[in-house]
Amino acid sequence: MLAAVVLLALSVAGLARSVAPGPTADPTQAVATGLRCPACQGESVADSSSPIAVSMRQVITDQLAEGRSPEEIRRWFVQRYGEEVLAQPPLRGASLLLWVVPAVVLLGVGTAALRTLRPRRRPVRWRRGAVDAAPTGGRGHRTWWLAAGGLVALVSAVAISAGQLARPLADAPAADPATVAVQLAHDLEGQQRYAAAAEMYREALRERPDDGVRLRLAFALLRAGDAAEAERTAREVLDRVPDSPDGLLVAGLAQRLTRPEEAPATLRRFLSVAPSHPAGPEVSRLLGS
Amino acid sequence: MSPGTRRWRRVWIVVAAVLLPGVGLGFALSAPEPHAGAEQRPPVAAPALAGTTLSGERFDLADVRGQVVLVNVFASWCGPCRAELPLLVEAGRRWSPEGLRVVGLNLRDGTEAVRALLDEAGAGDLTVLPDRNGTRSIEWGVRGVPETFVVDRDGRIVAHQPGVVTQQWLQDRLVPLLGAT
Repeated sequence: MLAAVVLLALSVAGLARSVAPGPTADPTQAVATGLRCPACQGESVADSSSPIAVSMRQVITDQLAEGRSPEEIRRWFVQRYGEEVLAQPPLRGASLLLWVVPAVVLLGVGTAALRTLRPRRRPVRWRRGAVDAAPTGGRGHRTWWLAAGGLVALVSAVAISAGQLARPLADAPAADPATVAVQLAHDLEGQQRYAAAAEMYREALRERPDDGVRLRLAFALLRAGDAAEAERTAREVLDRVPDSPDGLLVAGLAQRLTRPEEAPATLRRFLSVAPSHPAGPEVSRLLGS
Repeated sequence: MSPGTRRWRRVWIVVAAVLLPGVGLGFALSAPEPHAGAEQRPPVAAPALAGTTLSGERFDLADVRGQVVLVNVFASWCGPCRAELPLLVEAGRRWSPEGLRVVGLNLRDGTEAVRALLDEAGAGDLTVLPDRNGTRSIEWGVRGVPETFVVDRDGRIVAHQPGVVTQQWLQDRLVPLLGAT
């Protein structure tokens, strides 16, 4: 019976852990999940589509790009919106009761149980009635053990699940720096800030060289107006993978600005290696004009 | 009393010992949190507010130190903001000789939409700072639109109204500040 209670408590803790949101790779999303939307009822800044929540996400993205840590960003919001902006405000006042009350109850029940279970010194005379009385005392003990065991399991389950629910927030900022930089760069591109995005892609490449990121850097450079550097970056990829469609595309588009006589050959090669590429029709139109 | 009855009494005592603190805890946690009303907050230094206005001029809150500034966060897509705007324009006209400056912080709005609203409200001369991505408003701790802040002559926020302001609210907050010189 006691084993069943403990099993139940552990499964509650397990369930709480499984429903808790896992760490997300998007750093803006991770910080936004830990903030309450002040304009909404019960929604986080990550979930809400209200203009205030969207603006708060923008502030988070900007501050992450400036190099602020998630903790610094949370403090920045607390200064403006108070501690109620945090999805999990620090334990204080009534919240502390969550820990103190179970502890006091445990102590009280434990003391009562000890007093009840202490063996009595009164000598027992052997008589027929004593045989009948024994099982009653055994059942009383069992009741105490079950109640105490259940209580311990309940308190443990609350403590474990509370710890597990709090953990993803703390873990989230520990995403690897290259992924963070790529995500930031992607957000910056969404805001048409291509030069800043290129800088973030370079940052990501310093952490982890990757041809996919190198091609995104080349595209960002092209959009930022630096065609020469865009072509040079695309060439680095083409040296390793001569038929990279995106490498040929960005190199060809960059050449239209730097060496227009070479551009058609590169773009034709792009069309031959990737005839069904989404940019294909547009490139064909450019070549035809 | 039979042994069975005694046993059940013990069980109930244990159940009560667990449930009663739990219920008390529930009440304690569900009690409304004291929400610090802006009106009761001590004056705080206003965050920076600078940029190019809708009419292309440069505005910086630091440059109008010495004036009382009414900062109204609004948007053309917000009905209550549209209804409130004529009152703010009127306040600006009435108290500007005493040193009041009304500044609109236009949250996530389209230039044409806000221009049409200003024309409609006869507020073409209002100082309006566009806040296209909303980050300036967040810097001010804005929770929704409309929202109005009163900045005193020393650059401190001394009053704050989430939601629509009334003539009485403006009168009560502005007259003492404007009459102070």
